[in-house]
Amino acid sequence: MYQTVVGLEIHIHLNTKSKAFCSCLAEFGDEPNTNVCPVCLGYPGVLPVLNEEALTQGYTVARALGCNLSQRTLFDRKNYFYPDMPKNYQITQFHDPVGRDGKIEFQAHDGTIKTIRIHDVHLEEDAGKMIHAGDMSLCDYNRAGYSLLEVVTEPDLTSGEDAEAFLLSFQRLVRYLGVSDGNMDEGSMKCDTNVSIRKAGEPLGTKVEIKNLNSTRFIKKAIEFETKRQATALETNQRIVQETRLWNENRDVTESMRSKEGSLDYRYFPEPDIPPFLPDAAFWAAVESRQVELPLARKHRLTAAFGLSREQGDFVAESRFMADFFEQAAKESGNGLAVANWLMGDVQKELNHFNLSLEASPLTPFRLAQLQKLLDSGRIHIKIAKQLLDAVFEQNKDPEVVMREKGLEAITTEEQLSPIVDKVFEAHATVVEAIKAGDARQKGFLVGQVMKATDGRAAPALVNSLLAKRLG
Amino acid sequence: MSDAPSPWKSFQAKKEAYLAYARPWEKKVGSFLTFRPEAPSSAGSGPSGARPLEGLPFGVKDNIAVRDFPLTCGSKMLADLVSPYDATVVARAKAAGASVIGKTNLDEFGMGSSTENSALGKTSNPWDQSRVAGGSSGGSAAAVAAGLVPFAFGTDTGGSVRQPAGFCGVYGFKPTYGVLSRYGLTAYASSLETPGILAKDLGLVKTVFDAVKGRDPHDQTSLDPESQPVRPVKTIAVLADLADLDPGVKAVYEQTLVHLKALGYTLVPVTLPTLEYAVPAYYTIATAEASANLARFNGIRYGHRPVYAENPEHLVRQSRTAGFGNEVKTRIMLGTYVLRSGFQDQFYTKAQKVRTLISNDLQKVFDQADLLLTPTFPVPAFVHGDKTMTEFQQKLADKFTVTANLAGVPALSFPAGLAGGLPVGMQFTAPAFCEARLFEAAAAFATRVPVADCPGTSLDWSK
Amino acid sequence: MDIGELETTAALAQIDLGEGDLARLGDAVSQMLAYFEKMNALDTEGLQPTTHALVKDNRVRPDIVEPSALADDLVDRAPEREDRFFVIPNVL
Repeated sequence: MYQTVVGLEIHIHLNTKSKAFCSCLAEFGDEPNTNVCPVCLGYPGVLPVLNEEALTQGYTVARALGCNLSQRTLFDRKNYFYPDMPKNYQITQFHDPVGRDGKIEFQAHDGTIKTIRIHDVHLEEDAGKMIHAGDMSLCDYNRAGYSLLEVVTEPDLTSGEDAEAFLLSFQRLVRYLGVSDGNMDEGSMKCDTNVSIRKAGEPLGTKVEIKNLNSTRFIKKAIEFETKRQATALETNQRIVQETRLWNENRDVTESMRSKEGSLDYRYFPEPDIPPFLPDAAFWAAVESRQVELPLARKHRLTAAFGLSREQGDFVAESRFMADFFEQAAKESGNGLAVANWLMGDVQKELNHFNLSLEASPLTPFRLAQLQKLLDSGRIHIKIAKQLLDAVFEQNKDPEVVMREKGLEAITTEEQLSPIVDKVFEAHATVVEAIKAGDARQKGFLVGQVMKATDGRAAPALVNSLLAKRLG
Repeated sequence: MSDAPSPWKSFQAKKEAYLAYARPWEKKVGSFLTFRPEAPSSAGSGPSGARPLEGLPFGVKDNIAVRDFPLTCGSKMLADLVSPYDATVVARAKAAGASVIGKTNLDEFGMGSSTENSALGKTSNPWDQSRVAGGSSGGSAAAVAAGLVPFAFGTDTGGSVRQPAGFCGVYGFKPTYGVLSRYGLTAYASSLETPGILAKDLGLVKTVFDAVKGRDPHDQTSLDPESQPVRPVKTIAVLADLADLDPGVKAVYEQTLVHLKALGYTLVPVTLPTLEYAVPAYYTIATAEASANLARFNGIRYGHRPVYAENPEHLVRQSRTAGFGNEVKTRIMLGTYVLRSGFQDQFYTKAQKVRTLISNDLQKVFDQADLLLTPTFPVPAFVHGDKTMTEFQQKLADKFTVTANLAGVPALSFPAGLAGGLPVGMQFTAPAFCEARLFEAAAAFATRVPVADCPGTSLDWSK
Repeated sequence: MDIGELETTAALAQIDLGEGDLARLGDAVSQMLAYFEKMNALDTEGLQPTTHALVKDNRVRPDIVEPSALADDLVDRAPEREDRFFVIPNVL
């Protein structure tokens, strides 16, 4: 049986407002060649001007991935010709990347915690885009010069499922850190995958690089396909060729990309236009201040602190916003389990109904906590609580305000309930007489009448005790 | 030192007289690729108090960007390119009140020592039109020497301002690396080069320098000048053994030593054991950087475009094959080779270490003396098409100038006398940021050997 | 430098070399490379390579957008364009 060995090269677009080396707007989907200037179009005489925010975000990720951080980081030129790359070299980091030798834990497909080592984290610039139209190709350089961060893992993953799990956890990580939206379908996260197979205990096999993978599902499928393909090749005594293959999403197969072998020699050398950067105390402090509790740690802490199930833990830690929302509401209400249930159940229903995200909805941690406190203190029951949640979404008001305005508070005192009981007794005098004469079966009818008369607001225990007292 | 020479202030008012003087001269020397004295660029609109170059016309080497002027770099590749922007030194000179009247000829992309590698025009030495003006800033040097502009910008990667200045009998100044922004200078060898200033009046060199120097947000390798403690220059280092000098250059060199002694300077004999390695280190680094810097010229976004291409690679290869001249191709090939894996350590990385050694060597010289004196170039201006001065020999002859580029320090070529009717330049080199020493010593020298005017040139038109 | 190396190098540089070019450039390049080997006579053991001429302090730019006023102007300079796109031939 063969073991699959997978390493990933993940690229993310950083959340910088301007491009990495010029002040052009870094935004997706504008009219072609509108966000371009002499620098990102590679005009003669212009020079790259490094964006500090890209550096800060790069170091922030490297730090979160447990890397050794470079005390002196440097850019290099990677030389190759391609029409979408205006300078015909890419500014990247080869000799002194922002971080090296990191490691990070993630929850594997089977729920176990695994560790993956990080080879390096480096900054670079993106290229433009080409659209092929008949006998011509159209070049749009709006994307040329976007800040990119590349994270290269060691070959520590052993299945397509784990690769997918790791990518999803990495996506959560960069979102938690606020450095990228990590959307693969919009191209702000990309991943090239290196796959090889070997028999247990044997050295690493020949690796194949797979490109054109624009969803985590495709990555999982491609690794699984490639494992089978390579195993079949070895079983039939064929050699595995070190090559780049493309994922064909229509046919669910990887296909060899005809390569001009031997023609790639990137001739990396230090970028003379950008001086080395030596982080100072203020820079390190900025990187430190951007560290957050990472998704996995947060999930573990919240799960333990509030007694959540694994499913609830996964749910509330999915995004930093959700985790913050949950944690605040859980603390405020003192009932984390109930808050988690609200968030996974009725709140999701309301969000779907109103077609809103939690971020954009009128529900706040304060309002959710208030709702749960009203419930826990007996001032409302569950049915009223659901009405109030709906009212929060409809009216954008605090649940307690709605409760007061609509008079939905539970009836919890004898003084409030007595006059209502009086009226019920008056209306149903024969039933009362029958019960007093010993027909206990009809008690339930009276309870129902009292609840009806109070729109269900009467506390059931109070109703029972008051009826018992009156009926002797 | 004097202020900007007053005759040029009447340039606008005496335009007709100027044109009558300038046109025949320009026809003889061919210093400009674009010459628009009738319609110069507008000067900037800085406050008049801060306009030390008010009213002065100037020339700009055609590898430096001037908005709405061509930016050909002397290459077929960019023959039709009009610059969409101003280089920082140009923008600052305009803001100081000066206006561009033309773009000067050069060796293609700054690669050469004669301006004969220009694909777009021939430039001759105003002193003797059978001879070259030097290079690569040959057009700038010829324009200044012929009295067509009071000053011009050049670029100096390995001596490209100083050597033509020497050939044409004018001052050629290369500042400390970074003190003049490279923004707008079409990159040849990024870690070595800088804009430079050519003028016949030393005071004007300094005035222009002061007007355009300093840190630029568009160039992160640019630097503010550092104020160095002001102390008079007392000691000047001279090389103990100077071989392979043309007899005329040697004679002027020896007279220079006599004058400097007479001025009271102490001459300190020194050796620069790494001098003979400066040229190989320089060309290794310069061509390596050039191979990447010139990769952007591919005919897609601008520049030379083949009539027909069947695929993108074909388009790029045809554009580059037809757009670049032989010397440029040779240097791109060399630079590509020295960066290739398997050869990079042996050539490129080795050269960068030699560069460190050369800087250390030069530092030792400056521990012993305030300035270093050498000839600018071992020979005076050679004749057009001279077979004794092959491309290879021209490169070897860069040995006195490239050291300053490798070490990033300032240097000034000054007119030191004539040999056989041709001007000969000598060069002062100073420690980083010590430009003041260059100006001081050169000004003192000029009190004994005034700058000779090129025969037939005059400023009479301004009267 | 032999012809093979010369051709590999020319391919990396995206320059076509004809017969005459091969001989002429080959000679010029080989002559310079032989000259570069002179550097091997120097002991550079333990020396740091100089990658940047003079470096003083960190240089970075704040993340502020300045919309390019030149975008239209630059698109106009395209040797061949379609709408706002730069055009190159495509392999069918």
